[in-house]
Amino acid sequence: MFSLVFAAAVEAHAAVPPEGPAGLLQKFGVEWQFVIWQFISFAILASVLYQFAIKPIIATVDERNAKIAEGLKNAAATTAKLAQAQQDAAATAKQAQVEAAKFAEEARKTAREFLDAQQKDATARANELIVKAQQAIALEHKKMLEEARLEVARLVVTTTQRVLAKELSDAERARYNAAAARELAEIKD
Amino acid sequence: MRASKQTQHFARQLFSLSLAAGQVSAERVEGVLAYLSKHPPRQPLAVLRRYQRLVATQLAKNRALVEHAGPVEDSALRLIEAAFTRKYQRPVAADARPAPALIAGLRIRVGDDLYESSVASQLAALSTPA
Repeated sequence: MFSLVFAAAVEAHAAVPPEGPAGLLQKFGVEWQFVIWQFISFAILASVLYQFAIKPIIATVDERNAKIAEGLKNAAATTAKLAQAQQDAAATAKQAQVEAAKFAEEARKTAREFLDAQQKDATARANELIVKAQQAIALEHKKMLEEARLEVARLVVTTTQRVLAKELSDAERARYNAAAARELAEIKD
Repeated sequence: MRASKQTQHFARQLFSLSLAAGQVSAERVEGVLAYLSKHPPRQPLAVLRRYQRLVATQLAKNRALVEHAGPVEDSALRLIEAAFTRKYQRPVAADARPAPALIAGLRIRVGDDLYESSVASQLAALSTPA
């Protein structure tokens, strides 16, 4: 029915060509009924497409954009956190280096002091040993001299005994005996 | 074997009977020996040994053994007798004996006491350390 009405309208128009713009449009084959119905079809199509295709697509695209934006925002935050963590790690590493250097220096110092103390001890012990050895040598020397002196004295006495036994005359002996008798007679308690 | 206390006591009693005026009397010693031969004690050998030691000790107290090197005059011996009699408050007799080892001088022994003034002792004193 619609198409019959449409065809009748077309025939009525075709019979008389209009003047002005309308005549221009007709000359080029542009008929306003077709254009209106095309507009209407297009509007229906557009609205259907919009409702069932474009809108969901736009919603999906918006959702993706939101996710992308959120992701980008998170990435920025993560990058910031990473940078912060790197900075913290660098600071910690630096501090650890400083402390390690300090401990190493203290250990070196302690080792030096220990070595010095050990050297001093060893030197003191060595000096002590030297002094003791010198004292022992001096004592030995003194003992040796004393023994030599005694030996010489013994030899002198023995020689004197032998000489006197041979050389003393009876008269000298008698004189000595008389003197000894006088000496012993005067011994008191 | 050491003599028992009883034996020692008995020997001391016999010794005290052998003295006359503080000196050993030969007669009394003979009398003691005669008694022991007639009445032998329980341990005769031990008694006699102990008795002999006591008598010898007593005799030594009254005797000055004078060892000398070279000649010694009688006057020196008399001087020694007089000096030791005075010193010990008992009669002491000098008994001379030669001892060439002294080289010169005298060595006098009275009982357990020894007195010496000789060249050998003085040289020995020089050779021993202080």
